[in-house]
Amino acid sequence: MNDQILYLVYILSFVIGSIVGLVLSYKKYTEPFVTRNIDLIALILAIIGWMLAINYPLLTMIPSYISITIGVFLIAMVIGMRPGYGRYETIIGFALAGLIWILRTVIL
Amino acid sequence: MNLMGNIILNVAIAFLVGSVLFGLQRKIMARIQMRPGPPIIQHLLHTFKFFIKESAFPKTAAMPFYIAITAMLCVIWVAAVIVGPVTEGSLLLFFAIYAIHKIVEHNAGSSSGSPYGKLSCVRAVYSAAAEVPLFAVLIIIYLKTGTMIISNIVTFQSQHGALLLSIPLAALMFFVLILSKSPYSPFAITKGKDIVSGYETEHFGLLRGYLMFSESIAWYMLLWIFLTVFIGGLNPVGYLIGMVIITAFVALINAVTPILNPNHSVMTQVTLAFIGIAGSIITLLY
Repeated sequence: MNDQILYLVYILSFVIGSIVGLVLSYKKYTEPFVTRNIDLIALILAIIGWMLAINYPLLTMIPSYISITIGVFLIAMVIGMRPGYGRYETIIGFALAGLIWILRTVIL
Repeated sequence: MNLMGNIILNVAIAFLVGSVLFGLQRKIMARIQMRPGPPIIQHLLHTFKFFIKESAFPKTAAMPFYIAITAMLCVIWVAAVIVGPVTEGSLLLFFAIYAIHKIVEHNAGSSSGSPYGKLSCVRAVYSAAAEVPLFAVLIIIYLKTGTMIISNIVTFQSQHGALLLSIPLAALMFFVLILSKSPYSPFAITKGKDIVSGYETEHFGLLRGYLMFSESIAWYMLLWIFLTVFIGGLNPVGYLIGMVIITAFVALINAVTPILNPNHSVMTQVTLAFIGIAGSIITLLY
């Protein structure tokens, strides 16, 4: 049962994060995704988000559900940006977090 | 947690996940078709939007049935959540719920008084003739496992392996059923764009909100049944990954196929149902 409550919290975190990301990105970018630049703030948010969601055991002082909730929120903020924006940032964030996950669980 | 809390929790999960999956499907379809596509949460935002829009009622609508039908759709899919994730009850009840869903599609179209709704209503009867046999996959599951109770089917799979591997044709049949219920599907004749939005065309505002709410739960529940019955009990992350994979696969099919005309749609579904039932029974016998 507790699992399901956490599951709902993560989903709500994703939905709210997506809405926040969508609203903020439309304010920040007034034109469609054409220039294909990487947004530094979105990149930082994506890296922190994916790290918190995937590599939460590294942060022993914070309960896992809090790390994952914040991580999912940040991931959703970047994924939920105006269509096109946030795509590269998400891939980079996921790749870095995935690399550390592999190092942590498979190699070490 | 008490039963009511459990029901509310599962209905909330079903609605949110179902809505996001519908959004994901549209996004994947758009990317395949070289379009940017809407945000993933677009379907969810649309649903919320309809709840605060003004409701209008056509003069031709058959009151109070026109309004009651939206509540009925809501009730049957909330009932599906109770039968499924909450109590893990009988698959027979799902069959009944699905049959009522087809009746609701039919009556939502006819009660509006719109020609588009009425065409959709006729198509709902056509498609019921094909989709109800596809749901007969449940009989094959009974023949294989000896039970219709979901929790027993999950236990059976933990001992004998996933049913997806032992009765794959039955799984294929159920997948065709899932495909039929997805928007923009080649089999989605009741909501084909040639009849605007089919049986939903004349439902506005709050009523459309209820319809979209119910459809999101329906999508989640169909995927939940597929994963539970053919793969076995999964943890929430397993369910989520499974649902995302199936939705992505459905989006791929929908993006590259045109909508079939009603006759071709129904005949294709019936043919697949026949192959699935006959093939599964032969597999079970030998």
